[in-house]
Amino acid sequence: MSYIPEPVNREEIKSVKVLTPRLQRLKKEWEDAEPQVYVDDTLLFTQSWKETEGLPVDIRWAKALEKRLDECPIILRDGELLAGSLTKFVRGNGTLCAMKPHEILQMVESGRFDRKTSDISSTKIDPADLEALRQDALYWIENMPKVSTVNASVAFEMGEDTFDLLFDRGMVFEGRGVRYKMDRGLFQNYSAYGGGVAQVSDKCIKYGLNYVIDLCRKERERMIAEGDNENSHGSAQFIRKFWLLKACIISCEAFIRYAKRYADLARSQAEHCADPVRKAELLRIAAACERCPAEPPRDFFEAVQAVRLYHLVCWKESSDRPEVPIGRLDQILYPYYIADKKAGKVTAQEAAELLGALWLKIRECENLVTIPREQRAAPGSLLPNITLCGVDENGVELTNEVSWLILEAMAQMKLSEPAIYIRWSEKTPHDFIIHALECNVEFGGGNPAFLNDRLGTERYLERGVPLYDACDWCASGCLGYHLSCMEHLGGGHNISQLKVLELALNDGFDPRTKKQLGPHTGDVRTFTSIDQILEAYYKQLDYFVPKLMMFKTISLATEITDGPMSGLRVAMQFDTAIKAGLTPKEGGAKYPEGRTSWLGSRGMVDLADTIAAIKKLVFDDKKCTMAELMDACANNWEGREDLRELCLSAPKYGNDDDYVDEIYDELSTRVPEIMTSRIDPITGKKPMLFIGAAAGHVGIGRAIGALPNGRKAGTPTCDAACSAMPGMDVNGPTALINSATRGDYAREFVGYALNMKFSKSVLNTPEKLDNLASLIKAFMLRNGWHVQFNIHSRAELLDAQKHPEKHKNLLVRVGGYSAYFIDLPRELQAEIVQRSMHDEV
Amino acid sequence: MEGTIFNIQRYSLDDGPGTRTTIFVKGCPLACLWCSNPESQDPRPQVAYRYTSCKACGSCVAACPKKAAALDAEGVHIDRAACDRCGDCVKACAHGALRWSGEVKTVEQVMKTVMRDKVYYQTSGGGVTCSGGEILMQPDFVAEIFRRCRAEGIHTCADTCGYGSEEAMRKIMEHSDLVYFDIKHMDPEKHREYTGADNGIIFKNLAVALEMGVPAVIRVPLIPEYNSDEENLSALADYVKSLGPGIGHVSLLPYHSYGSNKYRMIDKCYQLEGLRKLLPEEEQRAREIIESRGLRCVVSK
Repeated sequence: MSYIPEPVNREEIKSVKVLTPRLQRLKKEWEDAEPQVYVDDTLLFTQSWKETEGLPVDIRWAKALEKRLDECPIILRDGELLAGSLTKFVRGNGTLCAMKPHEILQMVESGRFDRKTSDISSTKIDPADLEALRQDALYWIENMPKVSTVNASVAFEMGEDTFDLLFDRGMVFEGRGVRYKMDRGLFQNYSAYGGGVAQVSDKCIKYGLNYVIDLCRKERERMIAEGDNENSHGSAQFIRKFWLLKACIISCEAFIRYAKRYADLARSQAEHCADPVRKAELLRIAAACERCPAEPPRDFFEAVQAVRLYHLVCWKESSDRPEVPIGRLDQILYPYYIADKKAGKVTAQEAAELLGALWLKIRECENLVTIPREQRAAPGSLLPNITLCGVDENGVELTNEVSWLILEAMAQMKLSEPAIYIRWSEKTPHDFIIHALECNVEFGGGNPAFLNDRLGTERYLERGVPLYDACDWCASGCLGYHLSCMEHLGGGHNISQLKVLELALNDGFDPRTKKQLGPHTGDVRTFTSIDQILEAYYKQLDYFVPKLMMFKTISLATEITDGPMSGLRVAMQFDTAIKAGLTPKEGGAKYPEGRTSWLGSRGMVDLADTIAAIKKLVFDDKKCTMAELMDACANNWEGREDLRELCLSAPKYGNDDDYVDEIYDELSTRVPEIMTSRIDPITGKKPMLFIGAAAGHVGIGRAIGALPNGRKAGTPTCDAACSAMPGMDVNGPTALINSATRGDYAREFVGYALNMKFSKSVLNTPEKLDNLASLIKAFMLRNGWHVQFNIHSRAELLDAQKHPEKHKNLLVRVGGYSAYFIDLPRELQAEIVQRSMHDEV
Repeated sequence: MEGTIFNIQRYSLDDGPGTRTTIFVKGCPLACLWCSNPESQDPRPQVAYRYTSCKACGSCVAACPKKAAALDAEGVHIDRAACDRCGDCVKACAHGALRWSGEVKTVEQVMKTVMRDKVYYQTSGGGVTCSGGEILMQPDFVAEIFRRCRAEGIHTCADTCGYGSEEAMRKIMEHSDLVYFDIKHMDPEKHREYTGADNGIIFKNLAVALEMGVPAVIRVPLIPEYNSDEENLSALADYVKSLGPGIGHVSLLPYHSYGSNKYRMIDKCYQLEGLRKLLPEEEQRAREIIESRGLRCVVSK
């Protein structure tokens, strides 16, 4: 990344209008369009699969992509600045029946199609398409494997009882690879994270796919001429590599032809276009698509167009869970931008509009979901994460003019995606941080998020990655991050700490499945100190961790070798994957241990609060007995609201309260020790830990009964890695940060995110934003990892009026005066709700 | 050393530069009609009632040995004259509706909280503010907190209405890096009418602060119909201008009634019920008047 960014013209940036009349119209068209089910891709995929029977799976997967790219309908809408539409509809949602035929059939039969975003479903589908989709799903039900290799292998090695720990049963373990009898299609064990997610590849853009194709060809020729004992010893590995490189060539060539189809389309539209301005735009698209991705972009426009097509094609290829991170977009685009700007070929305004157009095209990507809603980790997100800024290996901070423009695009387009992550460092320009916070307010909160640049790089250095690579990382998944196209982006296997605790409190017996899931660790009713409870808990955890590791080893390794072998993903990491003859997920990445070795831990905050409440009420203050508490929990507090009130008023994490924070600290030391006490057999190294927090809290909460922290049975657990129990952090933001960064937790756990919430009154003057910037700085200096700022929504304020007990921390500030929202008289509450409504408009 | 406080607010953004911890001491010699923290006026801890949490169970009524608590359709009322502040009702309330407002704390205890946010003061150029109530009523306590803060390199800001003894003023100013000084009205009669006291002492104390070299920010609550008129503001602007370069800026706090419900919490009556809001043009005009004297003016939002 070695370069020094040119000075930024802030005034020019701040005056850009991203939402030009053209983009306003396109955005409105998209917003107004009714989602419609799109079937062409799945039909083409199935057709290709029939045509390629008997060929190696790598080739079949590549041919299926090729068929879709060659034959799917392509669209370039009136006024569009960039080519590359996911479907032929303004808001089309596609899927591949091959991946989840039962679920698709169910949707067909109910006439209700779930989409990947939030809780909207779509029902619009052409009758002929509906029938075609039904036939397609039926074909796959008939032709897919009948038994999941993962489930069969797990049962074979670990026994049928193991499934009691999984989804829908005890749910001690949770995560993408940890499902029991899911509807899986062609690749029974394939999930995006097991299979991995493709990333928009900065190096492919930079070199062009012709270069990659040439490398593959030469490597194949070399293998034939010289053999390949050095890299792929043995016949199986040799032929695997031989086919995989072919698959890579097929995929790249198909991608190039796909772009050229857009070039042809744009040219033919230009021929019939009377408006000279539009004609020029169309010819510009044609020239860009003719050139990229085959060759490197020549200018800013071609670079943006290339990013669009890379994201789209990776999306199509990922199929099942196409959560394609875009990576360090400001760094990818900057060289083209600054060269054009110096040559007078582009203005900030033109660039901003183009980025706005890119935003719309990225947001347009939606799929029908193939995972039941309640099992989804991130129900509202498509995760096309974009990462900005960062310090390079020479210590140069890389915030540039494109970083600024991207913030503007985000703030002004006001689309729920993509999410922006800023790599915060002490060198990040202060006014850029302020601008990011202003954009956050304009956007309505939650975007962008801030990641600790130093910590991100240090964590890679600690794993032995050299500095020049360690500093080239970006955000991915819901709360993960990875080295740009140098790692495989896999998922984690999580353990639900609260379930383990529930088992510890019940002598290993699970009230949900009514089975003895864990070892006998004693009847807590007879315990005389909190240490006995902690010991019981640690014993339970220590019992389950090796089981989780074995489960992970079998399921993940089976997923990896059973999933599609993507040639496209070889291309994305061509510098190492070609030579290795392996996809990134199999070890073809530059840093192959990558994200395959995560162990996730969920529910740490609830865990600490629960232990604190027991310690305080039973052992310190003796307000109740352990038996009383256990009985009340067993009855979900029925008839014991008084005891629940006591539990809720016990010290809670998030308040800078030593009583509970010391417990949290101890747990955050002991839990990682236990979880990393055995190596990960796949990497031979200590497993990496992940705070599995993003949105799985709803799912795991459902499996857990009432607990002494005052929570009721089945309710969600805390919502992010280190956020407090909802409404319980009443000492303000500095106290919450102090609790969250008391120890070096973020170094131990990946994904350690803090969601902070503010009312608009804390964000409405430049001085207050300055203060927020200082808060971020303090958070980072205390080794915090990830922080983002949400703004209380009107819905929340309305809920606070109805359920004041859930919103004790909702602070309203007005010129030197502050009060808790729930204490305000109703009329004033109404006024604030009214104002928030105004703010949202 | 001990003092009575009614709140410590961390991440305080309006009481001085940067991120601050504001210590609100309890007890105020004034009783401004518009006071938004009426629970700060009484110098001793008192029982406050949060009606949104009340389940009307009556356990407080049963618990009160003085028969001072009564329950009707509007919730709990406490006869404050009869109440001897024993706190039995607070103990009896299972829902947190009755709570203590105000507690006695040592300087040590206050400093423990203050020190927890030192890094935030450093990154933001913030520090500690003592506010009230009225700090001049607890000068030794406040001075000691400030002395300790300064020893830790923490910036100190005194927020005062200026009504107190000169000795108290000097004690606190000796350890203050900045003073936020309230002026409610220029006219002595009106000042007495609205706040219960003369403003002569206040002006004298402001002079003391400036003489001791403590930079001052003048804070003016802008109350429509009471002090936001042209005449008062012009007099105020002229007066502040005459004080010379020791004045940082004038901070205007437009009236709001968010504190009105707090009166009910301590069984007091809010006298400005129904008072209109400040109009945007009035706010604008007030700013113009201040700025016309070459003074910097900040309106709190």
